Amino acid sequence: MDRETVERVARAAHIKLSESELEKYSSDLNEILTYFELLDEAPDTGKTGVNPVEIADVLRDDVPRSDFDPDVLLRDMDTYERYVRGPRLL
Amino acid sequence: MTMRDVLSSFREINSKYHMFHAVTGDADPGDAAFLFSAKDNLTSADMETCSGSRILEGYRPAFDAESIARMRAAGGKLIGKCNMDEFGFGTFSVNSGLEIPRNPYDPERSCGGSSGGSACAAAVFEDHVSLGVSTGGSICCPASFCGIYGIAPTYGRVSRYGLIDYGNSLDKIGVLSARAGDMRKYIHMISGRDPKDPTSCAQPELKDTGRKLKSAAVPKDGTEGLSADVKDAFDRSLEKLKSMGIDVETVEMPSLKYAMPAYYVLATSEASTNLARYVGMRYGRQRGDLSLRFDDYFSSFRSEYFGEEAKRRILLGTYTRMAGFRDRYYAKALRVRQSVIADYKSVFSRFDAVLTPTMPFTAPRFGEISGMSALDAYKADYLTVPANLAGTPHLSVPCGYDRNGMPIGMQFVADHWNEEVLFDAAESWEKGFEMVKPEVKV
Repeated sequence: MDRETVERVARAAHIKLSESELEKYSSDLNEILTYFELLDEAPDTGKTGVNPVEIADVLRDDVPRSDFDPDVLLRDMDTYERYVRGPRLL
Repeated sequence: MTMRDVLSSFREINSKYHMFHAVTGDADPGDAAFLFSAKDNLTSADMETCSGSRILEGYRPAFDAESIARMRAAGGKLIGKCNMDEFGFGTFSVNSGLEIPRNPYDPERSCGGSSGGSACAAAVFEDHVSLGVSTGGSICCPASFCGIYGIAPTYGRVSRYGLIDYGNSLDKIGVLSARAGDMRKYIHMISGRDPKDPTSCAQPELKDTGRKLKSAAVPKDGTEGLSADVKDAFDRSLEKLKSMGIDVETVEMPSLKYAMPAYYVLATSEASTNLARYVGMRYGRQRGDLSLRFDDYFSSFRSEYFGEEAKRRILLGTYTRMAGFRDRYYAKALRVRQSVIADYKSVFSRFDAVLTPTMPFTAPRFGEISGMSALDAYKADYLTVPANLAGTPHLSVPCGYDRNGMPIGMQFVADHWNEEVLFDAAESWEKGFEMVKPEVKV
């Protein structure tokens, strides 16, 4: 992975990297991706799945409820008039 | 040592071994039936939960993880939250934004990771059980390095509600203790269906069937790359198992060599999406430079408070999911996982368990770890990763000590939902194994 690709990936992941970090991660990720090439030679059975065991769907009635006291949820949040404070959009 | 003795001494012990990030302020056990601790990626309503990360410092959850809630409901008293690699990203518990736990057999060495603090607490305190979490080996590795028993049950056996996710399709909550019997006792306590985690709802009931371990298969490649002391202890352990009447044979498991890259692709892919929620708002650290626009705010916050390994795994997982690379890495890794599961199922049609050493070497010194590349550290997991990728239950038992007196572990893997075989393996093994407890000096 070259420096430009690392920079592009970091931008997509919202990570800002210094020059020395770009150098280091470029070198590390190259070594790791070279190792991942082992996957290219793995026999492909075509069978796939996201989970290692079968997962059952669990359904419930859609009944409104409140599990938590809103004041407890907000107690440590940076808020303004009970709204979560965040960076400006524009 | 009574519960009151533990509560009066554990802060002093913690100041030397750094097993806990947060501790209870209580000195009186009250009517508690037992004391326990939990890895710090399990939420606790009465203690800060940071998952080893500076970005979560100050996070006070509004609720207990289901596993902690079940321990409390059974009379357990939570005494501390255990130090760990940041979000579980590591093999030695050194990738932490907080404190690094010290091995009770030699404080200059690692406890293993990522449930290092949990293993340390279980090894040091008498009658102590600790909850750990395994994604790629994070229960068995530290159990091996700290000379205790550790079990990661089948994926979905224990509710993940309240677990700060690393890899959703890989994370499993389990138990660490110096007593073999605790594997059975506490997995029974924390397992079972929980509507709050649908992945727990497909499980068959965990029953005491009395099923015994009668046979074990050793993968041919599972004994390569071992240190001389680990190989020697493992060979002697195999002879001991045979003398216990257990049939031990060598088998071929050709897919295992692909498990490592498949695991790291899936784990980092899932981690990179899970960590997208940490942006300096809502919980943990907040109040960054609000004069920045939102993209810059998020990027600067994440860059400042994520550690080096967290950033590496976010970058790697983002890359392997990107358009143009997804099929080569992520989609292929999903198919390799199915091949690994098929290999295990084939062996389990003839044997009760698959057997290897837990780790290829004993607990390294911190200086040795700092000399490892990222890939070297990943490769240290090659014996624990396959079972984690397959979601099969696995257990580490102490099986010897190296020339420096550092513990060596042996790992049993059983078929999905067959924890019973592992409980029996641990209990039968304990009867004939002489554990050397660490000398804890404060």
